[in-house]
Amino acid sequence: MNQRENGRIRKKILIVDDSEFNRSLLSDMLSDEYEILEAEHGMEAAGILHSQEQEIALMLLDIVMPVMDGFETLAIMNKNGWIKSIPVIMISAETVPTYVDRAYDLGVKDYISRPFDERTVRRRVVNTLILFAKQKELEHMVTEQIMEKEKSNKLMIEILSNIVEFRNGESGLHVVHIRTLTELFMRNLLEKTDEYDISPKDIPLVCNASALHDIGKIVIPEEILNKPGRLTEEEFAVMKTHSEEGAKILERIPMLEDEPLLRTAYQICRWHHERYDGRGYPDGLKGDEIPIVAQIVALADVYDALTSKRAYKKAFSHEKAVDMILNGECGTFNPLLLECLRDIEGTLEKEFKELSEKGDSQKEIANTVEQMMEGGELSVSEHSIRLLEHERMKYQFFATLSREIQFEYTKTPEMLILSEWGAKYLNMPETILTPREARFGTEVFNKDDFEQLLGDLENTTPEDPMVEEIYLLNINGQRRWSKVISKSMWGEGEPPEYAGAIGKIADIHEDMEKMNKLESRAAHDSLTGLLNHKTARGRISETLAKDEEQRYILIVFDLDHFKDANDTYGHLFGDEVLKHVAETLKNSTRNEDICARMGGDEFLIFMPYKEEAESQVKRIFGLLCDKYKEFQISVSIGVAYAENCGRDYDTLFHMADEALYEAKRGGRKAYRFYNKDENES
Amino acid sequence: MTVKECYDAIGANYEEIMGRLRTEERVKKFLLKVLSDKSYDLLIQSIEERNMEEAFRAAHTMKGVSQNLSLTRFYHSSNELAELLRDRHDYGADIEPVLEKVKEDYAQMIEQIRKLEG
Repeated sequence: MNQRENGRIRKKILIVDDSEFNRSLLSDMLSDEYEILEAEHGMEAAGILHSQEQEIALMLLDIVMPVMDGFETLAIMNKNGWIKSIPVIMISAETVPTYVDRAYDLGVKDYISRPFDERTVRRRVVNTLILFAKQKELEHMVTEQIMEKEKSNKLMIEILSNIVEFRNGESGLHVVHIRTLTELFMRNLLEKTDEYDISPKDIPLVCNASALHDIGKIVIPEEILNKPGRLTEEEFAVMKTHSEEGAKILERIPMLEDEPLLRTAYQICRWHHERYDGRGYPDGLKGDEIPIVAQIVALADVYDALTSKRAYKKAFSHEKAVDMILNGECGTFNPLLLECLRDIEGTLEKEFKELSEKGDSQKEIANTVEQMMEGGELSVSEHSIRLLEHERMKYQFFATLSREIQFEYTKTPEMLILSEWGAKYLNMPETILTPREARFGTEVFNKDDFEQLLGDLENTTPEDPMVEEIYLLNINGQRRWSKVISKSMWGEGEPPEYAGAIGKIADIHEDMEKMNKLESRAAHDSLTGLLNHKTARGRISETLAKDEEQRYILIVFDLDHFKDANDTYGHLFGDEVLKHVAETLKNSTRNEDICARMGGDEFLIFMPYKEEAESQVKRIFGLLCDKYKEFQISVSIGVAYAENCGRDYDTLFHMADEALYEAKRGGRKAYRFYNKDENES
Repeated sequence: MTVKECYDAIGANYEEIMGRLRTEERVKKFLLKVLSDKSYDLLIQSIEERNMEEAFRAAHTMKGVSQNLSLTRFYHSSNELAELLRDRHDYGADIEPVLEKVKEDYAQMIEQIRKLEG
């Protein structure tokens, strides 16, 4: 529910304290101006922040709380970046200096001590909100200014270096290439080591400086610069002076000492032709005497020279260039840099093409600025907040309408968030922490089922995120068949990390029951309610296939003179007789026995026996031969032992059927056991 | 019974609380809330179960509440108990007398507040 005052949305304040008393007191002091949200401890707060981070203007946080205390909460807020968008005021009773320091270190903006004084609380809240807003505004302004400055910096250098390159007759792409390569190498190098005196925020500066590496070529005569063939020794000597000359030009600039850009450019200019083994020029520096930035540009220069067409050579392929460098055919390099080359080899060609063609990397400027500001996220406008509120309202509405339990699951911290309707329906809180141990994961779901569901979700991929399963759930004491449809959610990084899932639980109980009923009907004989032959055959075959100690017999029987009964008394009567026989069967057999009506007036029973079977058969025979109304029922029974049939149903049936035939031949109203010898004679 | 009378009866500081909370309505509202605060029961139960961490939290909470309402006498006894229980793993005989004082002060305080309920 959002509250508006004079058309303005009221700011939300989240109060996190395990004492209901404290929450209530603070709420009382602030609720006329703000909308108050409450949480009993850090986990609950995290749940709220997870879904409403952008709308919460301030948090009042206690330290001593169960489940997740104030410091743990601050840690999570730092980890998720929430600390940057929400100012936190500590409201703990603890005033021990170490606690206070620790809180401030974790990003707390202010500390309101106890006991609470109404005026103080209100004033501090207002001040913090205003201060925070101002900070954001200023950060934003400064960010913009820095970006502008960086852009124009870069532009000037591009212009300058293109002037130099212009004389070379080469394409302006050489400078862009060197810039790109420098960036790629630097990023990779920084991942590997911190032994050199450079950091990520230096990257744009070094890339800028790298553009000036050949500035000394401006003093080289054109005939040498653009000579199509190989240079003579004298010509080459002149060419080599461009490093020193470039450095001299830069040296003349009065600001050299103060401007890092110029210092770096000087290093690159003067020493980008030095070699790791000391055989470079102009100063013959060796190993790490050569500033690392110069080493990087040197390598970049060589790679670019190899892969570009020059007046005196064709362009080599990317693979060939890398091979040549790694084989030492183009001078010696810092082994660490060669490792970098190997690392980025795969992506080098692609990135190179992409970046070069664009010739621009706004991204790197933005990265720098962010690092410099240590944050600098833009604040969310009121418009966005309104949009978010609107979306939430729509979601709630549809969730309630569908009468399905909708949920959101996050992996870290592990929690489950139910839709408003779902929570009410299940009589549970909306935010469920440690769902595997809570009622949701142990009562509503069977514990194993729940683990299976979470496991299945974790094993999905972003390309194939759907999981659909049917479970028998316990909803408010009732067992209901439910279908769980869910989709896994993934993070932004490479490779994408499993973050959680969203889904819904739909009640399909009625449909399931209907289906079960239909299946049941298909398996039974509609008149008598016994199994039909097909189903019985299936079940008996299954039992026969099991290698058990248990011994079984198959009984098949039919009603003597049934046709006459039908003729004399009518078919309706006949049906009643059949039903009566079926009832007798049901009452005289156990659940484990399989009884079926094969069709017409034929029935079968498949039952286990212990020592001998005759007494059972005799008993059933006796029960079946009773009187139904005017009709005296008599049956003929054939019995076969299952152990003789070789686990084959058809064989067993055949034996029992033979025995039945014998019984009939003997005059009916009798039972016969199948005897192999007898029948073969 | 008036709020002031109640405060005087339980050794609490009426002037101080009025200075901070501003309205008698608010003071009364929260004073009555003390009746339904579960921390005391939680404290007793935790001590019984020898769950020292919970007991500390409960005592700490009560100390906070009494501090907020300037319930001076009760604040002192619950504060002493809380400090004694801080980082404590085992129950000891030394806790006995401090706990008794807390029980005493609490009982008396509740009795008086009940009169205010009227």
